[in-house]
Amino acid sequence: MALTFPSAEWVEEFKKQINSSEGYKKAGATWTAGVVALVTSAKPEIGIQEDVGIWLDLHQGVCRDAKIVTAEEAQKAPFCITGDYARWKQVIKKELEPVKGMMQGKLKLKGDLPTIVRYVKASQELVECTTRIETKFLDE
Amino acid sequence: MGGYKNRILEVDLSVSQINITDVSEEDKRRFIGGSGVAAKLFLDRFNPRVDPFSPDNPLIIMNGPLTGTTLPGTSRFAVCGKSPLTGIWGEGTCGGNFGPELKFAGLDGIIFKGASPFPVYLVIEDDKIEIRDAKDLWGMDNYAVTDLLKERHGKERNPKVLSIGPAGENLVKFAAICNDKGDFIGRTGMGALMGSKKLKAVVVKGTNKVEVSSPEDYAALRKTLIAKSRDAVVAQSFRSMGTDAGMDLGMMTGDVPIKNWSIGEDLHLSANLGGPSLTEKYLTRNHACSFCPVACKRIVKVDDGPFKTEEGPGPEYETCASFGTLIMNDDLAGVIKANEWCNRYGMDTISCGATIAFAMEAYEKGLITKRDTDGIDLTWGNIQGAIELIHKIAKKEGIGLILSEGTREAAKRMGKDAEELSVEVKGLEAPMHDPRGFHGMGLAYMTSIRGACHLMHLCLGIEQGIATYPEAGFQENYIGQTSEGKAEMVKRCEDFGIPCNSLVICEFVAWTFSANDLAEMVRVTTGIDFSLQDLLACGERTWLLKRGLGNMMGVTGKDDRLPKRILTPLKEGAAAGSMPDVEKLLREYYEIRGLDEEGKPKKEILIKAGLEDLAKRLHG
Repeated sequence: MALTFPSAEWVEEFKKQINSSEGYKKAGATWTAGVVALVTSAKPEIGIQEDVGIWLDLHQGVCRDAKIVTAEEAQKAPFCITGDYARWKQVIKKELEPVKGMMQGKLKLKGDLPTIVRYVKASQELVECTTRIETKFLDE
Repeated sequence: MGGYKNRILEVDLSVSQINITDVSEEDKRRFIGGSGVAAKLFLDRFNPRVDPFSPDNPLIIMNGPLTGTTLPGTSRFAVCGKSPLTGIWGEGTCGGNFGPELKFAGLDGIIFKGASPFPVYLVIEDDKIEIRDAKDLWGMDNYAVTDLLKERHGKERNPKVLSIGPAGENLVKFAAICNDKGDFIGRTGMGALMGSKKLKAVVVKGTNKVEVSSPEDYAALRKTLIAKSRDAVVAQSFRSMGTDAGMDLGMMTGDVPIKNWSIGEDLHLSANLGGPSLTEKYLTRNHACSFCPVACKRIVKVDDGPFKTEEGPGPEYETCASFGTLIMNDDLAGVIKANEWCNRYGMDTISCGATIAFAMEAYEKGLITKRDTDGIDLTWGNIQGAIELIHKIAKKEGIGLILSEGTREAAKRMGKDAEELSVEVKGLEAPMHDPRGFHGMGLAYMTSIRGACHLMHLCLGIEQGIATYPEAGFQENYIGQTSEGKAEMVKRCEDFGIPCNSLVICEFVAWTFSANDLAEMVRVTTGIDFSLQDLLACGERTWLLKRGLGNMMGVTGKDDRLPKRILTPLKEGAAAGSMPDVEKLLREYYEIRGLDEEGKPKKEILIKAGLEDLAKRLHG
């Protein structure tokens, strides 16, 4: 069954996919830089009334926790990447590489850029995990 | 017109004569400045068939109208002439501080003609211009001669120095020209051309201002551009990690060449050689070209170990790849040391690293042995051996003699199957971006004016999606591994990118601007009513001019090719199995660009671009 992005169910499945990914386990094995939060900007016309955060507690190749949080909570993460719905949809569909998206200003990063660049392979593996989720997009 | 000083110094080194000349206002409007105006000067006043080392081959240093303004990214100047390395039109641009200082001294450029019978250097202090004896400087490396000349000519006023090192003096074909130790005109061997004229250095001090035509518009635009070049993520990335920030992402997209272009992925190498590593382990501080808020230059220091290096200019991405991934070296300290030696001797780190990678593969395949290398072990990854080879190349000792010719000529002289190991186009070693990951770059290498070049067309940023210019007709997201639509993209990239070497502006800073910003920079500075369409038309005209010059220097359609190694599919990595469709790319490009079967611009295309004189010379 397709899971709606973003939703608690989708995030739970994302966590499962991360923790069953050998690719992420290897690429993120040395990651100790803390939580990564992904924020989708509000888009009332498709039902997203306010900014939505996805909290990913990543540590040494494992996702210890994943949950929906408020944007305010998300900003407390050491890394917070913000984009509008269309951009995240492009990322999930592998039409936009996240680091390139940041370079183009389509995704906004709060956090240490060199750390993100160093783990570009891990970020690709996270994107791979999203592609394994049967996703229902709110604007389709 | 604002931005220009309307004075070009003409120095005949054969007879120690100095004159002032200029180009017409019409040529400034049509070719702007920098390498565009230099190419027009060459066409009008010099013989394209000249031998590169003949005294009759000029060395042309040229500012653009933006050089010396305080707009971000505009400290650059161009150096041009017929290339000793490639035998065709050669040019390179350089950041740093020499260009602005030359403008402050009241000059748009310098044309060096002839050749001195003994080593000399030129001193410019505003209107006081003097050719001086440089016998005592000959043989000094770039760092030493820069320090000495600054001391000699008033250190407190910080004169700016342009110099060659021993490699230029020895006519190493890929010798570079150095500006104040840390900035280089690296590509196409302009340092060898300078050396052939026995010109060791140029010292300049100036006290004039650069006047702009629309001060209020200029101030407003400057404020906007500073914010863009400060805040853009790509700028932040370069500021925090240097241009080597691209290594890790490049490895993921199939951009980084490995083991002389034979391997598609090595994450261990990029983890050790990439921007984050360089920053964490060796960065002491950033350095910026004049008036640049990005400050991508690295100042580095290696505290101990076999590659201990005093604090000084550090390697760019190209060098981290050419002395890293390309030769299978994972020791970044070794790269820093190799970079320092190339700087001191004055050699292009791309061509030098590529030549050493070529030699290492020749060594692996038994085409050369320790007997040929004077005992140097050229096993892949041996950075110590690579550094020993740098010394030999710069001094033209032993095997360094043939390697100093570049890979195309070295392969010919080595014989056997060595030509298959040489990765160059038109004699210029390919820079560190793999066309198998980005097919447009492959076409850009084939058709670029100076040979395999990653800069003169802005293709790197545009095809990889780092820079987007929708108002100039570009897509936002090109797919790297397709040849579909790339001929049109590359032609547009060239028309848009070539004016950057005329303005002259830093490509990386330009990535943070819009296309209209570039045209607006010309308008507010010069006062010329200049639109984006004018910029693109100027780009097309300048490309045709330089291509025509290349044709007169011997370039034909047969030279628009990729080396066999790049046309061999990779087995691993992001670009595995991917290959530019060379035939399709060239067929479509020739049609769009208006080239005939011999690779010359068609007569009617030249006339349409206002290049009647060139049309007559090419077609009769």
